[in-house]
Amino acid sequence: MIRLLLAIAVVVLSLTAPLRAQDGDPDPRLVRAADEVALAYVVTGDPRIDEGSEAGLRGLSGELIRRTTVRPGEPIGIDLDQDDLSLLTFLYWPVTDDQPAPSPQAYVRLNHFLRSGGMILFDTRDGDIAGLGGPDGQASLQALAAPLDILPLAPVPHDHVLTRSFYLLQDFPGRWQGNQIWAEAPRADATAVEGVPFRTLNDGVSPVIIGPNAWAEAWAVDRRGNPMFTVGSGFDGQRQREMAMRFGINLIMYVLTGNYKSDQVHVPALLDRLRGEEGIR
Amino acid sequence: MTRLGFDPLLPWPVLAALAVLALAVAGWAAWNGLKGWAFRGLAILAAALALAVPVIQSGIRLALSDIVILLDDRSASQSLPGRPGQTDAALDELTARIEALPNTEIRRVTVGDDDAGSLLGQAMTRAIAAEPDSRLAGVIAVTDGLAHDPAMIPAQVPAPVHVLLTGQPADWDRRLVIEEAPAFAIIGQPVTIRVRVQDQGAVPAEIQGTPALLSLSVDGQVAQSLAAPPDQSLELQFVPEHAGQNVVRVGFAAPQSDPAELTDRNNSAAIQIQGVRDRLRVLLVSGEPHAGERTWRNLLKSDTNVDLIHFTILRSPDNMDPVPVDEMSLIAFPTRELFMERIKDFDLIIFDRYSVRGILPPEYYLNIQHYVEEGGALLVSAGPEMATVQSLNLSPLGGILPAMPTGRVLDGAFLPQLTDEGQRHPVTSGLSGAPTGAEGEDHWGRWLRMSQARARPGAQVVLSGRDDQPLLVLDRVGQGRVAQLTSDQVWLWGRGFEGGGPQLELLRRIAHWSMKEPELEEETLLADVGRDLRVTVTRRTMQDEAGPITITGPDGSQSELPLTEAGPGRFTATWQAPGPGIYQLRDGEVSRVLALGPAAPREFEQTVAGGDAFRAVTEATRGAIMNLSDGVPAVRTVRPDRDAHGEGMTGDWIAITPRDAASVAGLTHRPLLPGWAWLALIAGLALAGWLSEGRARLRGAQG
Repeated sequence: MIRLLLAIAVVVLSLTAPLRAQDGDPDPRLVRAADEVALAYVVTGDPRIDEGSEAGLRGLSGELIRRTTVRPGEPIGIDLDQDDLSLLTFLYWPVTDDQPAPSPQAYVRLNHFLRSGGMILFDTRDGDIAGLGGPDGQASLQALAAPLDILPLAPVPHDHVLTRSFYLLQDFPGRWQGNQIWAEAPRADATAVEGVPFRTLNDGVSPVIIGPNAWAEAWAVDRRGNPMFTVGSGFDGQRQREMAMRFGINLIMYVLTGNYKSDQVHVPALLDRLRGEEGIR
Repeated sequence: MTRLGFDPLLPWPVLAALAVLALAVAGWAAWNGLKGWAFRGLAILAAALALAVPVIQSGIRLALSDIVILLDDRSASQSLPGRPGQTDAALDELTARIEALPNTEIRRVTVGDDDAGSLLGQAMTRAIAAEPDSRLAGVIAVTDGLAHDPAMIPAQVPAPVHVLLTGQPADWDRRLVIEEAPAFAIIGQPVTIRVRVQDQGAVPAEIQGTPALLSLSVDGQVAQSLAAPPDQSLELQFVPEHAGQNVVRVGFAAPQSDPAELTDRNNSAAIQIQGVRDRLRVLLVSGEPHAGERTWRNLLKSDTNVDLIHFTILRSPDNMDPVPVDEMSLIAFPTRELFMERIKDFDLIIFDRYSVRGILPPEYYLNIQHYVEEGGALLVSAGPEMATVQSLNLSPLGGILPAMPTGRVLDGAFLPQLTDEGQRHPVTSGLSGAPTGAEGEDHWGRWLRMSQARARPGAQVVLSGRDDQPLLVLDRVGQGRVAQLTSDQVWLWGRGFEGGGPQLELLRRIAHWSMKEPELEEETLLADVGRDLRVTVTRRTMQDEAGPITITGPDGSQSELPLTEAGPGRFTATWQAPGPGIYQLRDGEVSRVLALGPAAPREFEQTVAGGDAFRAVTEATRGAIMNLSDGVPAVRTVRPDRDAHGEGMTGDWIAITPRDAASVAGLTHRPLLPGWAWLALIAGLALAGWLSEGRARLRGAQG
């Protein structure tokens, strides 16, 4: 009952003061997210999954700090119905069957988040056991994502910048592997100009990545730094966990640097041009 | 006017047949020896004539006057010294002489200046078309012969065309011809202007062949001068230094001689060359991937005129990673090439959250400092690393950065505010959403963190943050510019946090200011030329007051234009320029050269009078081209098929051809004979024939 009243209050408040509530200090957790590039996950209400998400992002953050110049702070759990998303950069959203749909206000914020450069990783965590092979295979994902303002999706191609934003990758494994993952389709009219995917205001970065590989569980470490879930078995399992981590790092690099790596292909050509012009002068 | 006519009752062939019948009858009668054959024939002929109904036509005719078109050229080229008086005198005398001719009217047509020059041909064609051809007796043009529409001069006129040229035989002129000049030029790359000095008319011997001393000035500053021999094309090189309008004036002083040249208004020309940047090359160095990095990429990549070279330090020497290099997609940062060898090729270098980690050796930073001092642009967007030992401010580059960190990071939300300087500074003035302090206003969102810093003396703080600490500081170093943001959270505006703010516009302006975009200069004088030489002058300044503007006209005269304040640091006025030419607007140190009207007035392209354009029409109509310096010719009348000019005892004469035109006011028809008279005539003839034949037969019977 208290929860219901709270929800009503939130809706009423957000109707009367949309987006522009400048009274008082913003939520310190979110301020930290903005300051430290903290990774965030959607709180589903299922304690087991939320714990896994937090541990997964903690594990990924630790590896980012160890291996790269990105220094994320502690992961942050996000209540979509209440929290302002504009301070976030990356949102991990595990999809569960019994997850309540966010409020319409929350979808307004989510759409704004996606439009202004944020990214959501939808994880159906089922390894695509049903073998449907598409992002719309799961009814719960469909129900959650339908109100989102996203363009048509396409499978991530083998030359996508995600495959080389830090590590070179062929697959994007989590606890599962070998499954197709999906991103916003490149616009038909803008493809393949000298290999640059396309020039849009958002630097051509897909606002959503969708896949079934249960990544958070592969990344998850406990407080002492030990893996929390088994991934595969023996040496192959170790390798898969490592590759899952590499995917996580590539993903965060993609979130933060966009198509930087796909542009870098052209840097030698640009430098060559400078040399050439110098020759003419 | 009276004449005989016919108004036949039957068609002419029928009447002709009747006449033939009459002759046949008369012939047959004569052949048979009939005495009345003549009367018979005449009777039938009279009947045919009666059917043709001869009438007497009488009309009322009104004689019309002859029209002479007097074309009076008052274009600017006719205002050269001596010419207006000469024109007036000639027109007066011609008017008197034409009016002395009987039955002659004058149509005076005055041609003024048009934007396209003297449209003499058009005026002549129109004046002729307005008069009936049958009354036009002559066209006399008093002009210097300069027509900018020679194709419009009529080819055939039904009356003589005479051209009387103003000017003196000793007239001569030296003028500047711009043969080729570009309208656009890339900054820093030389462009060629091809010019020629041209002599016209009776050039005095002491001037003939002597070179003119050409000078080329750019925006009012003399840039080069050289001697230009007449009638030879000469190529001048000019390097545009800045974006926007470069006003290049090429000219020479009037040569000293007697008589002096006709005018010095065609001794110079103003050429406006729009300076454009080549593709901008921007080097963006991100010290670490962070939430705001894509903001920079979005800004720079959405501008197709920018070549972006971007490096992000994804992994620093202190990171540990056991992964083999061939499984990584990392390339080495070509620091030596970028910061030592190629640095001059960049228009702007941006350091985005860059921390000093030993990747760049100190001499590279020193080289960046030299780059800025020699005119480069540097922009530093600093995150919290600014307050640490890894701050760029502690590198050798720190010597030129405009904000000096105190080592404290100020956490907590704050609202970026325009400072007093920021209200005036073009980088920040007029940004949408700026808080003004008014209650309940809709302003931009807050930022959450900044580094505390002090502004270097002389630097401009245009945005302030928490506790009025400097947030955006701009400074000039040597010939270059440096901008520094003490917070990395401008991306929050892009994300729409608390409504967001004009993040792209602010970053764009900072970048373009540092690259010296003329529109974003603090101290500028802008002039918008509107219709009819109306100029809107805008003075932007960091000072509290400005003006008045001193305007120096093409003739060296000075006037003052007071300004009124239109906003913080903006003063405006509108000004009506008295005429085309090059004007210099100045307020203290700031000046602007303004070229109004055409580059070189068309009217002064041809100042020595000459009638070549009219040669064809005067010859076709037997008219003359004469110089008024030989005296105003006498005016005579001649027949249309005679030459309309010549030399008489008292001097030259020109002639008009009286057309004897008339109009018919009415017409009456009166039959020659009434019907009964015709009847009597025909009957009489027939009776006479019959009687003569009858009498002869009677007499024959008696004998």
